Amino acid sequence: MGASLPPKEANLFKLIVKSYETKQYKKGLKAADAILKKFPSHGETLSMKGLTLNCMDRKTEAYELVRLGVKNDIKSHVCWHVFGLLYRSDREYREAIKCYRNALRIDPENLEILRDLSLLQAQMRDLSGFVETRQQLLTLKPNHRMNWIGFAVSQHLNANASKAVEILEAFEGTLEDDYPPENELCEHTEMILYKVSLLEEIGAFDKALEELHKKEPKIVDKLSYKELEVSLLSKLGRPAEADKLYRVLLSMNPDNYRYYEGLQKCFGLYSESGQYSSDKIEKLNALYQSLSEQYTRSSAVKRIPLDFLQDESFKEAVAKYIKPLLTKGVPSLFSDLSSLYDHPRKPDILEQVVVEMEHSIRTTGSYPGSDVKEPPSTLLWTLFFLAQHYDKRGQYDVALGKIDEAIAHTPTVIDLYSVKSRIMKHAGDLTAAAALADEARCMDLADRYINSECVKRMLQADQVTLAEKTAVLFTKEGDQINNLHDMQCMWYDLASGDSYFRQGDLGRALKRFLAVEKHYTDISEDQFDFHSYCLRKMTLRSYVDMLKFQDRLHSFPYFHKAAIRAIRCYLKLHDSPKSTAEEDGMSKMAPAQKKKMKKQRKAEERAKKEAESKSEESTASGVSKSGKKNVKPVDPDPHGQKLIQVEEPMAEASKYLRLLQKHSPNALETHLVSFEVNMRKQKFLLAFQAVKQMLKLDAENSDSHRSLIKFFLKTESTSAPTTEAEKLRWSVLEAERPSISQLQNKSLVEVNEDFLGRHKDSLVHRAAYAEMLYLLDPSKKTEAIKTIEDSTDKVVQTNGAQREWKLKDCIAVHKLLDTVLLDSEAASRWKSRCAEYFPCSTYFEGKRSSVMPDSVYNSSRKSNDNGDAPNHPMGQTEMSDGQVEAFKSLSVST
Amino acid sequence: MGTGREASVSLDGVRDKNVMQLKKLNTVLFPVRYNDKYYADAIASGEFTKLAYYSDICVGAIACRLEKKEGGAMRVYIMTLGVLAPYRGIGIGSKLLNHVLDICTKQNISEIYLHVQTNNEDAIKFYKKFGFEITDTIQDYYINIEPRDCYVVTKSFAQSEASK
Repeated sequence: MGASLPPKEANLFKLIVKSYETKQYKKGLKAADAILKKFPSHGETLSMKGLTLNCMDRKTEAYELVRLGVKNDIKSHVCWHVFGLLYRSDREYREAIKCYRNALRIDPENLEILRDLSLLQAQMRDLSGFVETRQQLLTLKPNHRMNWIGFAVSQHLNANASKAVEILEAFEGTLEDDYPPENELCEHTEMILYKVSLLEEIGAFDKALEELHKKEPKIVDKLSYKELEVSLLSKLGRPAEADKLYRVLLSMNPDNYRYYEGLQKCFGLYSESGQYSSDKIEKLNALYQSLSEQYTRSSAVKRIPLDFLQDESFKEAVAKYIKPLLTKGVPSLFSDLSSLYDHPRKPDILEQVVVEMEHSIRTTGSYPGSDVKEPPSTLLWTLFFLAQHYDKRGQYDVALGKIDEAIAHTPTVIDLYSVKSRIMKHAGDLTAAAALADEARCMDLADRYINSECVKRMLQADQVTLAEKTAVLFTKEGDQINNLHDMQCMWYDLASGDSYFRQGDLGRALKRFLAVEKHYTDISEDQFDFHSYCLRKMTLRSYVDMLKFQDRLHSFPYFHKAAIRAIRCYLKLHDSPKSTAEEDGMSKMAPAQKKKMKKQRKAEERAKKEAESKSEESTASGVSKSGKKNVKPVDPDPHGQKLIQVEEPMAEASKYLRLLQKHSPNALETHLVSFEVNMRKQKFLLAFQAVKQMLKLDAENSDSHRSLIKFFLKTESTSAPTTEAEKLRWSVLEAERPSISQLQNKSLVEVNEDFLGRHKDSLVHRAAYAEMLYLLDPSKKTEAIKTIEDSTDKVVQTNGAQREWKLKDCIAVHKLLDTVLLDSEAASRWKSRCAEYFPCSTYFEGKRSSVMPDSVYNSSRKSNDNGDAPNHPMGQTEMSDGQVEAFKSLSVST
Repeated sequence: MGTGREASVSLDGVRDKNVMQLKKLNTVLFPVRYNDKYYADAIASGEFTKLAYYSDICVGAIACRLEKKEGGAMRVYIMTLGVLAPYRGIGIGSKLLNHVLDICTKQNISEIYLHVQTNNEDAIKFYKKFGFEITDTIQDYYINIEPRDCYVVTKSFAQSEASK
């Protein structure tokens, strides 16, 4: 490096490199300038100066200098390496790889560059390139452990696990017998375990087990040793030994569900679906009976049988399970049991059991058949459980009755208010739900969870400003909303985006949804550091796991949700031309609401200005004080105004669509939005693909049906094909049509009738039928509306009154009547019908909802009595020390 | 004890973060809505105001105010003491009061007192058990409840030599 310079400058050059490595950028800059004074066009110095400036946040200059450096000295590997580093710092990995390759062309054996290249290849999953680079590194420096390991891992990632085993074995061959030294025991253990798990992966179970046993003395991680051993024994079909070992593991941790699962497998008593024959159930029961005697402190051993036991024996077991937990007061009991509600009969049994307990405790103070007096809190927790039970079953009235009674019994238990809030949400009163969540929050201001839950409820009730204020209570001071973003708080982004979407503010909504996408990119970037760290620390099994996790990162629910919602924003942008998008949102609102909205906007503008001036102040002071640039760049588009200015919303949507199609191909919604996007783009073959996928995933889904009809209506109504492309498309569809079983020589009207025939009793399907009927033939409007209005809500007569219709479906039907079928009379008939079904629903203005003027949650009423202490004669002064009521019934204990 | 099973009762102080618990208790225990001063006094009294937890549920509280007597000695005024109805009769009220009395002795408090409505015999009996005595009667102390009179119930502590 710096070879072409005279000695003095060459030394200076070394100083730049050293200063860069030790982060003394100012010093480096000085040295660079000193060289450049004499040799203004020295390429390597220019490059290093650029790299130094890059670290001082002077990006544009950095790029200029580095480019100039390469230009002046195109044959220098230093210049190319620096260029690569610059790109890497900006996460432009593809470009960086190119630069490194250029550098290597000049200096093919440069270890540093090879190592940097291998990291990028791992990050970009250029696996064959990764193998190649790793092989080169090993050839150049075979005495480095890391190079052996790196080569093995690269082979493993490149789907060649047996090769990886060979490499590890070759490496072991180079080791002395007394390897490893004391201080490397853990690393060596990891390597052995990695090797064994590789053998397991390629199916060489015998060899894996042999290796494991042979190396036992050198393995310090005894738990992993046992877990691997037991897994191998099971796979080798040696159940007796596996059984024994599982019991050893259970005595170490009797609450690990995987051990129980493994144990069941040893006896051939495991099924993926959880369905067992009565004979097997008996055997399982006996197994768990004996286990529960052995592991008395385990809760898993008590809980698992509830999954497979049936009817009478379930009833007995569940009662036995619940009792001590209600006595103890375990708030999470219901969520512990909530998976049982998927079973057809178990919810009824649960109800019967707990209602019996409630009755018995009320009358005798003890559980049925017992004479042990329960503590007073047992009734409270029983009511608490029942409230959640009835909520789950959709019997909101009963649920509210129970929770109110619990609150009257002990008004200080926070969970009661949270559950009541949830019930109100399900019953359709989001305002009340938010108010209750806030009440819960106020009872413990130090609890982040209830604070967050409250924020979420506020957002669901579209109280965005209030929600932000509440969320900020738990962020770092001074860095409010930014802090939420830095914490990658995705539930917040989603809930807030949803609220803006409902309010028609597409800019802010998109901003939030795209923030989630950004978080995922960051998570993906975060793995970069581990490529070198894990090889060094030898945590190879976790490293490979982490890489696999990263590969399916975008299939996780938060990303899926955010992408779907972002696409829906773009669809809306596409459908309503830019300039009017906002007006449109406004015109649909009632005048009073409009006024409110405008007011809110103004207030926000003001707040924004204030915040801006404040942040400017703080930036200024931040710089002057510390002199460092720890100031984050100010977001130039905080409200997403630029986002909604996109020229081609559908092109943007397609970006996210591709990720969804790749990572969530089994979600119907993926293909539904794909259909919507491609229809708008007039990409009919792609839209057809989407329809086919939907039919494949769920042919009877109402959205699948809608898309099918819409698609063929659209394509069949377009005039005869003229261009080549159109002809081709037409012939493809012609060839594909018979493959769709629903169509089979039928007209679309007939297809629609068939669909209704198959789903006469379902509201959702009837609504889809009606919508399509009207679409196919607008003169059938009356018939369509009649189909909807003739739907009847069957009350399921299993146990008490339980509605089959869901609130959200009824709301969708109302919107259909109102905005698609455009019959306001039918819509209002529907509304009053649903107001009766859902008395708490604010949407339908049910009589017990918070929109009613006499509701405690009605905001206009609330402001009236907010004046605190309504003129209570004893409201102030000393007189308020009433030790009155409390003592009337205070029986003093002796 | 009225219950067949033992449940632990523990005490915790009142702070800004959990003062709502005390408010919730007071709304159901007393027919009075307390003003901000009450809560400020309660928090300021430190150890003299406590919430009682019955297996992690807040079920009762004692709230006191510290007063300076002429001459500089401190006395304690019990503003409220109450336990939720379902949890009465298991010694929680005693535990709260005993706690405050203990602190009084430790901190050389000269006296502790409170007001009780004249017909509240249970309460009077309760306090007498702890060495309180009726020291005064105030006419028309209450405005909207009958009887309107109240007793002043006081317990004095023997002052140790060092403090006087």
